[in-house]
Amino acid sequence: MTNLLTYLRGPWAIAVYTWREGMRKKTLVGFLILSLLVIFGSNFVTAFLYESGGSEGPTSDVDTKLIKDICITAIAIFGILITIFISASVVPTEVENKVIYTVLSKPVRRFQYLFGKFVGVQLIVLLNLCLMGILFFFALYFKERVWPTLLLWSLLVTYFEFLIVSAFTFAVSCTASSSVLPTIAGLFIYITGYLCEYLKDTAERAGQTTQVLDALIGKIAYGLYFVLPNLKAFSRIEKQIVYAQPNDPVQAELIPQLILLSLVYCFAGYILAYWIFRRREL
Amino acid sequence: MSAVIETEALTKVYEGALKGQDVHALKGVSLTINRGEIFAYLGPNGSGKTTTIKLLLGLIFPTSGTLRILGKTDINSAAVKRNIGYLPEGAYYPEFLEGEEVLRFYGQLYGMGGRELERRISEVLDTVGLTHARRRLVRGYSKGMRQRIGLAQALLSDPQILILDEPTTGLDPIARKEIRDILVELRDRGKTLFVSSHELLEIELISNRVGILFEGELKTLGTIDELLTDRDVTVEIENTTTEKLAKFSEVGVAIEDSVDNRYLLRIPADTSVFKVLDMCRDMEIKLVSVRPRRETLEELFVRVVGAAGKVKENVQ
Repeated sequence: MTNLLTYLRGPWAIAVYTWREGMRKKTLVGFLILSLLVIFGSNFVTAFLYESGGSEGPTSDVDTKLIKDICITAIAIFGILITIFISASVVPTEVENKVIYTVLSKPVRRFQYLFGKFVGVQLIVLLNLCLMGILFFFALYFKERVWPTLLLWSLLVTYFEFLIVSAFTFAVSCTASSSVLPTIAGLFIYITGYLCEYLKDTAERAGQTTQVLDALIGKIAYGLYFVLPNLKAFSRIEKQIVYAQPNDPVQAELIPQLILLSLVYCFAGYILAYWIFRRREL
Repeated sequence: MSAVIETEALTKVYEGALKGQDVHALKGVSLTINRGEIFAYLGPNGSGKTTTIKLLLGLIFPTSGTLRILGKTDINSAAVKRNIGYLPEGAYYPEFLEGEEVLRFYGQLYGMGGRELERRISEVLDTVGLTHARRRLVRGYSKGMRQRIGLAQALLSDPQILILDEPTTGLDPIARKEIRDILVELRDRGKTLFVSSHELLEIELISNRVGILFEGELKTLGTIDELLTDRDVTVEIENTTTEKLAKFSEVGVAIEDSVDNRYLLRIPADTSVFKVLDMCRDMEIKLVSVRPRRETLEELFVRVVGAAGKVKENVQ
């Protein structure tokens, strides 16, 4: 037990250091402040829209839906930007400012270093998501005067969606000496994850003809559909939880499956990162 | 003396994107560094010094050759890393942390914690003379203080080997002297220091052995006494004329310096000192002093690197 604690002390120190340093990055703070402003301002926006429109005012349901729309969009956009930005930059920044030399000259193996960095990134993502979530939580509470406890499930699913993007962006960042390429890659991963369901459509349509090329495209599309993370599945559950519409009930049984899927992708991303980084010349 | 660092035919080639673009950073370097010595690793920019250091730290991997630290070939093992302290050139230390927080972070990387770590932090801060600034943010540190906190993190685990990349570059003379004194004290405590530097005067004062690298090849290796032999003699004379001085030039004696009517003549190793003294007597020149002149490390460096450069030019 003592040995394990000693073994984990290094990665934990790296994680805390990453978190402390990351929370001071101006870009990240900028995104966070913007997101908090948007979420905080959602209540005022609804009032302003209807006042300037000259109408009588919205019904409570429409008003609440608008707040939910604004907050969910803000969390999705700023949350993923923060996730990608921080996942893409922690390793390249340390290579650039040479901190990595002093860290890896200590008895810290490369997988421990990466583990510490990755945990640090997750601490940052979680903290930011929590801050945004808390504000969303109170925005809804002040509107409906009911604690929106289900929202916590939505935030949990959102985090696991971000975890997939974070893991693969982090893996790409292990090849780079600047954060530009991994940031672009992160955005690409996110967009691809959302377009994943189109691959299934492509596979089904291609399978309808008898041509060899179509069949091949269909098989490739079907393969990619199974390999790539389907982020839309996460988004769908998040919306079902937040909007709680009777005609679109929450598929609660999917939540543990999505979490497990996310953890598998996260593990794959970390292994990929280590595979890239273990022989990287610094 | 027991060897703590041994390299044998160590070679590093950075592969280029295209064929023929490979960079041969290190070409078969064989070195043995013994316990308790300060080994100066010198060379012009791009000669392969940093590449060697990175290889010693396991940050890059050799193309061929062997590397042994404390008798072990697995240089990334905890047993080896625990015994290496490294001070990189121009390293960054997180500005939002206090001096002791920086050391706490690095100490945790060694698996240290609790009272043991706090005691060790106090000890190393005392060694590098930063106890007074332990609670100050690194942001407020001067360049010399940053270098000292770097040295402190390298000393945290009380390592047997210290690898220092340009430890005194960019420091003022007082800070340089202080760092130099710390290095000598560490050597006297039995530590082995591998120092890469361009500050040749500093190095000459403290190092036991020197290796000069040029374009990845080790050109010279030896102790300071072996390498800096008494080669020339200087003669100081007074009250002479330009005509008389010209006669000295004819026999290969150079005027090294002059102040008012006092001249410092440099007699090369292949010229007879007695012949020059006879000339002084015959021309009735007042002789002030005759001294053997030891070559400086800077002169040795210029001679070795210059000769290597000329050989390269001739080959091309």
